[in-house]
Amino acid sequence: MSLIYDEYGRPFVILKEQQAKARVKGLEATKANIIAAKSISQIVRTSLGPKGMDKILVSPDGDVTITNDGATIMDRMEVNHQVAKLLVELSASQDDEIGDGTTGVVVLAGSLLEQAEKLLGRGIHPVRIAEGFEKAAEVAIKTLGEIADTVPFSSDNLDPLITTAMTTLSSKIINVDKRKMAEIAVNAVVGVADLERKDVNFDMIRMEGKPGGSLEDTELVNGIIIDKDISHPQMKKTIKDAKMCILTCPFEPPKPKTKHKLDISSREAYEKLYQQEQDYFKQMVQQVKDSGANLVICQWGFDDEANHLLLQNGLSAVRWVGGVEIEHIAIATGGRIVPRFSELSEDKLGKAGVVREISFGNTKERMLVIEDCANSNAVTVLVRGGNKMIVEEAKRSLHDAMCVVRNLIKDNRVVYGGGAAEIACSLAVSSYAETIVGVDQFAIRAFADALDDIPLALAENSGLDPIQELAAAKSRQMKENNPLIGLGLNGDAGEDGSRATNMKEIGVFETLVGKQEQISLATQVVKMILKIDDVITMGQYQ
Amino acid sequence: MAGRPGIIILREGTDTSQGKPQLISNINACQAVADVVKTTLGPRGMDKLIFDGRKVTISNDGATIMRLLDIAHPAAKTLVDISMSQDAEVGDGTTSVVLLAGSMLKAIKPFVEEGVHPQIIIRNVRAAAKLAVEKVKELSIPYDMNTEQGYEMLIKCASTSLNSKLISGHQDLFSPMIVEAVKALDDAGALDEIKTLVAIKRIPGGDVRSSFLVKGVAFKKTFSYAGFEQMKKKFENPKILLLNVELELKSEKENAEVRIESPEEYQSIVDAEWQVIYDKLDACVKCGANIVLSKLPIGDLATQYFADRGLFCAGRVEDGDLKRVSKATGGTVQTSTNGLYDGILGTCGKFEEKRVGDERFNVFEDCPQSLTSTMVLRGGSEQFIAESERSVHDALMVVKRCLKSKAVVAGGGAVEMEVSKYLRDYALTIEGKGQLIISAFAKSLEVVPQQLCDNAGFDATDILSALRRKHAQDDDGKWYGVDIAEGDICDTFESGVWEPSDNKCNSLAAAAEAACVILSIDETVVNPRSQDPGGAAAQQQMMQQKPMSNMMGNAMDAVNAQKGGSRSGNLGNGVSYMRGRG
Repeated sequence: MSLIYDEYGRPFVILKEQQAKARVKGLEATKANIIAAKSISQIVRTSLGPKGMDKILVSPDGDVTITNDGATIMDRMEVNHQVAKLLVELSASQDDEIGDGTTGVVVLAGSLLEQAEKLLGRGIHPVRIAEGFEKAAEVAIKTLGEIADTVPFSSDNLDPLITTAMTTLSSKIINVDKRKMAEIAVNAVVGVADLERKDVNFDMIRMEGKPGGSLEDTELVNGIIIDKDISHPQMKKTIKDAKMCILTCPFEPPKPKTKHKLDISSREAYEKLYQQEQDYFKQMVQQVKDSGANLVICQWGFDDEANHLLLQNGLSAVRWVGGVEIEHIAIATGGRIVPRFSELSEDKLGKAGVVREISFGNTKERMLVIEDCANSNAVTVLVRGGNKMIVEEAKRSLHDAMCVVRNLIKDNRVVYGGGAAEIACSLAVSSYAETIVGVDQFAIRAFADALDDIPLALAENSGLDPIQELAAAKSRQMKENNPLIGLGLNGDAGEDGSRATNMKEIGVFETLVGKQEQISLATQVVKMILKIDDVITMGQYQ
Repeated sequence: MAGRPGIIILREGTDTSQGKPQLISNINACQAVADVVKTTLGPRGMDKLIFDGRKVTISNDGATIMRLLDIAHPAAKTLVDISMSQDAEVGDGTTSVVLLAGSMLKAIKPFVEEGVHPQIIIRNVRAAAKLAVEKVKELSIPYDMNTEQGYEMLIKCASTSLNSKLISGHQDLFSPMIVEAVKALDDAGALDEIKTLVAIKRIPGGDVRSSFLVKGVAFKKTFSYAGFEQMKKKFENPKILLLNVELELKSEKENAEVRIESPEEYQSIVDAEWQVIYDKLDACVKCGANIVLSKLPIGDLATQYFADRGLFCAGRVEDGDLKRVSKATGGTVQTSTNGLYDGILGTCGKFEEKRVGDERFNVFEDCPQSLTSTMVLRGGSEQFIAESERSVHDALMVVKRCLKSKAVVAGGGAVEMEVSKYLRDYALTIEGKGQLIISAFAKSLEVVPQQLCDNAGFDATDILSALRRKHAQDDDGKWYGVDIAEGDICDTFESGVWEPSDNKCNSLAAAAEAACVILSIDETVVNPRSQDPGGAAAQQQMMQQKPMSNMMGNAMDAVNAQKGGSRSGNLGNGVSYMRGRG
C-alpha cells in the first residue's frame, strides 16, 4: 500500500509495514479474483468426461503423477493464488464427501464465475449476482430431485451398481477393461457394506498396488494382503486353517520401562544371564505353540535366534507388521491383539482359511495373502499395472468408482449423465428466470448458461461440435419433454446429424447426491469469491 | 539538522508531533481505517481477503478484519480497541462501531480546524452520546422471552446478524439452531458460560446445509491405537468415566532407577510395571464405566484391554471437550484411578461414533444436564467454514444479548435515523457551540443508513432525504430504514430486521468514547525502538540473504532486489526523520 499524506503533506503510516503490503480493492479485486479462479478451472476443463485428457504432474521431488482426477490434479498443482486455492479446496471437499465429480464441480464454478464477470460488466452488484445464483441453485437442485430415478439393486442383482461404476470409470485410464474393474469395485464395496443400515465402512477396504503385470491382473481378494513376507525362507509358505496369534510385543527378553541397570560382576553371573535369555526365548515360543497357533504375526521384530526357534517349532512368522494392518488382521480374522506372551490363549487367536505368500514375476518381492477370514468383511484390491504411475492412477480411479457405489448404497437415486441432468436443470432454471422480476432474473439466467457449459465441455473434449450437440440435445429434451436426453459421446451421429441419445438406454448415470453436491458446493464457493472486494496481502519478504 | 544548533532533549529518532496538525492527522488516520471496513456493512456488504503470509482469512466481521490489519498508527489503534471491546461485550456490530467513530470524527473535524477547543468538543460529544443512548433505550421494545413471540424475536435477531454474512442464504437453517443452543443455556441459567458450553466444530467438505446441531457434546475422533476398531461404538445410557490420567505402559517416575542383583529379578520388575497399568485399567473397568475418556494418551495396551471388555475409550481428548462432556453428563474428571465410584461417573442417553464427511465424531446425546450443545459446520472450503464459524459466533452473541437485554430495536439504519432526528431537535433547544457540535454528531449517525445504501449500490442521497422526511413528519415513521431488497425505505421493524438494543447502546457509547479519546490527544511521542539500529541492520542483512539463498534466482534479480531493498530502507529512515522534525 502506498503512503497516505495528510493535509499538511506529512505521510502517516497506519498499518504495520504498510509499504510491503499489497492491496487491491473494489471491482478490480473481484475481477482479478475471478480471472484467477477461471484460469484454474480452464486447466482441469479438458479432463472432464469420458474423452477427457490426463495431466502429468511433477512434484518438487521429481515424482510423476499422471491423472485426470480433478481433485488430484488440483492438489498436486501447488496453487499459490489465494482465491484459486479456494477452488482447490472445493475440489477436495467434493472428493471427501462424494469421491467423484471433482472435475465437474470446478468446471461449474469456473463457468459460474465467467457468467458473473459478464454481469459485473453490466454493473450488477456482486452480492446480488451471488444471491441470484443461490436461488437458481435451489431450483436446479430441486429439479434434479424431480428427474431422479431410482436404481433397484439387491445383493443378488448388482448390475445397476456395476453400470454406474462403469460410467465413473469410463473417463479414467483403466476404461479398457472397465466391466471387470467395475465388478471389482462393486464387489469390494458390497463385501464390506451393511445393506440393511446402508452403511459402508471404507476402512475395511484395502488397496494394495504392485507395479508389474497388466491391469487385467488386478484382483479382488476376499481377505487381506499385506506387503510383508514370511520371516524365514524355510518356513511354511502356505498355511491352511491358519490360527494366528497377533502380538504387539517383541520376541525378546522383557525390559522394564523404568530406567534400570544390571551389574554383572562375575563370569557366572554373565552365563546365568545368557541362560536366562535363552530360557525366555524358549518360553515364549512354547507359549505360542501351546496356544495352538501356527502363524505368528508380530508388530515388532525379532532377531535370528527367535526366528530360528520358531522355525524349529514349525511355526511360520511375519514380523514388522504395521499397527493399522495388525488391526485389520485382528478384525478380519476375529482374533484379539495380544500385548504379552503370558496372555496368549486359544480363544484369542485369529482364524483364516488359508494364508499364503505370493511372489510376483521373477522379482523377489512377495506379499502375504490372508484369505477366507473368520469375519469375511475385509477385502483387499490388489492393483497391478505396467508401471507405478498406472497403478497409482488405477487406485485413484477404483477409489472414485467405489465412492460412487457407496453413495448408491446410501441413496439409490440417480440422474442421467452425458450432460442430460445439466441440460434439464438449465431448462428448468431458465424458465424459472422468466418468472422473476428484477436484477435476479439476469443472474438466474446466467446460472442456466453456466450449467450448459458442462455438456459443452464434454462435447469439446470428445472432439465434437459443442454448440450443435448441445442444441440438438436441448431441443430434443424440450420437444419430447424427456430429461433423459444427453450427449451420446460414443455413438454415431443420428439422422439429424447429432448424437443426442436417451442416456437411460445406454446406461450412463451418476448419483443424485453427487450432482446436487456439485451444484451447491460450486454455488457456495462462487458466492464467497464474489463477495470479496478487498485483498490485502503481505509483502514478499514475509 | 545540520547547521542549526539545537537543544536535544529526546533521543535521536524520537518522533514527536503536536498541536492541531497532529489532531487532524490522527482524525485522518482513523478515517482511513474506517474506510477499509466500511464496505463490509450490511446485507450487501463485501468481504475482505487478508493474507498474512501464512494464513488466508476471508471475513466480513469488523473485529476480525481490524485485528488482522495489524494497525500500527497509534491513534488508529483506538479504533481496533473499540472494535475488540464491542466484540467482547456484544459480539456483533463490530463494523458499525468503527464506522460510527470514523464518522463522528469526520463530522467534528471542521470544528477542530476552526479552532474550537477539543475539550469543548469532547464535553458536547459526551453529552450527545448520553442522550443518544437514553433515546435508544426509550425507543426499544421490550419482549417477554418465554412467549412464542419472544422466540420469534430471537430468531429475527439471529437472522439480522447473519444477514450480512456469507451464510445469509441459510438463515432458515442457522437461526433456529443458534437460538436453540442459547436457549438451552438460558434455561439452566448459565448464559455467561456460553463460550465454553457451546462448541462450534468445523468439518471441511459437504454442503453448508448439512451443518447440524448436536444437543450434547460432539468431538472429533481422537488419535487411536490398534484395537480401536474392535471396540463397541454405540451405547445406550452408558456410564462415562472422565480421566486426566495416562493409561500407558511407562515408567512411573521420570528419574527413577532400579538396581537389580540377578537376572531373575528382571521379570519381577517387568511384572510390577505391568501390574501397575493393569491395576489402573482394572479400576476403570470395575467401576462400571462403559466409556473412558482421558485428556492424556490412552495407549495401545489399554485400547485393546478395553476393546476386549466391551468398553469404548478415547485418549487425548481436548480440554474444552472434556469439560463439556463433564458438564453435560454430570461426571467429574478424575486425576487418579484410585477410589473410583459410581458417583463420579457421568451418563447420557446415547453415545455413538458417527461419520460426518471424512471425519468420525464421538457424539454424546440426550445428556441429563442439557446445557451444552455442539454445532457442526460444514462447507466447501476451510475459509468458508472459518467465516461461517465467525458468523455463527456473532449470532450466538446477539441472541445471548437479546436474552439479557430483553429488548430490541429495528435495524437497517432506522434507529440511527430516529436518534439523529431526536438529537437535531434537541440541539436547537440549546445555545452556544454545543448546538453545532450536537447537530454534527446527529448528522454523523446517518452514516449507517448511508453506508448501507452505498454498499448496496443505491443512491444514498435520495434515500437519506426520504428517510429524514419520514422520520421528521410521521410519528409512526420512527422505524423506517433502508429497504435493501427494493432500494427504497420501509418499516424495518415490520420486515423483521431486529437488533438487541444493548448492541446499539454499546456501539454508540464506545464510538463516542473513542472519538473523545482521539480528540483529547494533542501530542504523540514515538520513541525509537531500542533495537532499531540492530533491527535495521538485521533487516538489511535479511534482504541480502534472501536473494542469495534463492539459488535458482537470476543474479541480476538478486542485485536489483538488493539495491531496491536498501533504497527503500533509506527512504524509510528519511521518512522518520521528516516526521521527527515536523
